[in-house]
Amino acid sequence: MKTSIIAIAFMTLFFVFPSHAQHGEHEHNHEGQVVEPSAVSNDMENIACDDTINIKVSGLVCDFCARSLEKIFLKRGDVAGISVDLGKGSVIVATKPGSTIDDTTLTKLITDSGYNVSAIQRGCEHG
Amino acid sequence: MKLTVFTLCCVILMGYAPQSLSRPVSYPGGWTIMQKNDKNAHSLHVHYSPTAKYSIGYRTEYWREEGWQFHGAQLNYLVKRHNAPASQANFYLKGGLGTAHGDLGVPDSKPQPAAFADIALDWETRRYFTSYENRVYYAEDIAKFFRQKARVGIAPYIGDYGDLHTWLMLQVDHITGERDNISFTPFVRFFKNEYLAEVGISDKGGILFNLIIRF
Repeated sequence: MKTSIIAIAFMTLFFVFPSHAQHGEHEHNHEGQVVEPSAVSNDMENIACDDTINIKVSGLVCDFCARSLEKIFLKRGDVAGISVDLGKGSVIVATKPGSTIDDTTLTKLITDSGYNVSAIQRGCEHG
Repeated sequence: MKLTVFTLCCVILMGYAPQSLSRPVSYPGGWTIMQKNDKNAHSLHVHYSPTAKYSIGYRTEYWREEGWQFHGAQLNYLVKRHNAPASQANFYLKGGLGTAHGDLGVPDSKPQPAAFADIALDWETRRYFTSYENRVYYAEDIAKFFRQKARVGIAPYIGDYGDLHTWLMLQVDHITGERDNISFTPFVRFFKNEYLAEVGISDKGGILFNLIIRF
C-alpha cells in the first residue's frame, strides 16, 4: 500500500515537473536558413550559419542518454547552444561569434558523452 | 532447471530484441539517482561518474521479506560500448562492498560483511530494447543468492528529442535461494529530459516502480 502511494506521488511529480525543453519548431538563423532539428535545447536563436557545426554521431538512439551531450557541451564558454536530432543521428553545435572548436576537441567531447563521431561538417553546407 | 530455462529465455530475447536506459555510468562529472522498488526489495543508488568509463557511488537496499539491509559502495565499469548508426550496445561490470544488517528492530544485531558482483548487457534502437543483468549476493549468514533479470521493450511511437517517450516493456526475474522463483512484470517506462520512471505490476502481484534522475 505504501509502495502504491509513493509510486503515485512520484508519477504526479514526474508529469507536473516543468519541462525546459522546447521542441517541434524549426529555428532560423538571421540569413533565413533553417538550423533545423527536432528540438532546440537551448539558445540557438540568431546563430549565424558560419557558427554552426553539424556532427554525425553513431549510437544516438536514446533521448534520456543523449542529455549528456547537452551537459558536456554547455559547460563550455565557447558554445552558444546545441540541438540534437535523434532521427538523423546528428548534433548541431552553435559556437559563440568569433569562437571555434577544432575537430579533435569535438571528437573528445562526443566520446566523453558516450558516442562516436562519424562526420563533422562546418557552416551552412550540412543538410 | 529454472535457472536453465530462464537463461535460455534471456538468450533468445537478447537475440531477437534490443538496452538499459538506467545506465550505471554517466558523462564525466555527471550524477545519477536511481530509486527502484519491486516485490522483493527497495534500493537507492546514487553515483558519480569521474569519466565516461566508470562511476562510483553509494548503494542501499532493503529486502522486505527477509528484513535485511545492505549499505555500501558500488563501482560500475563500462567494459565495452558499441555505437552503430541506429543502435547502441553496452557491457558493464558492477560490484559492491559494504555491510548487511539483518533482524531489523533487534538492537544487538551486528552488521556483517556483504558484497555483490554483477554483469549487465543491453542493446537498443529507437524502437526496440533489450537487456540482461545478473547479480550474485553474499552477506555471510544473512543472505546468499543469485538473481537475474531480462527485459524487452518496444516504443509504440518514436519521439523526438525533448518529447515524452513511452515504452511498453516486460521484465522477467529469476531469483534463487529460499524464494526460488521466476516472475513476469509488464510495465510502462516514461522518460522526458533527465527524468525516467517505470511503473508496472508483476504476475505475483508486486508493484514495480523505478525512478531515475540525472544531473
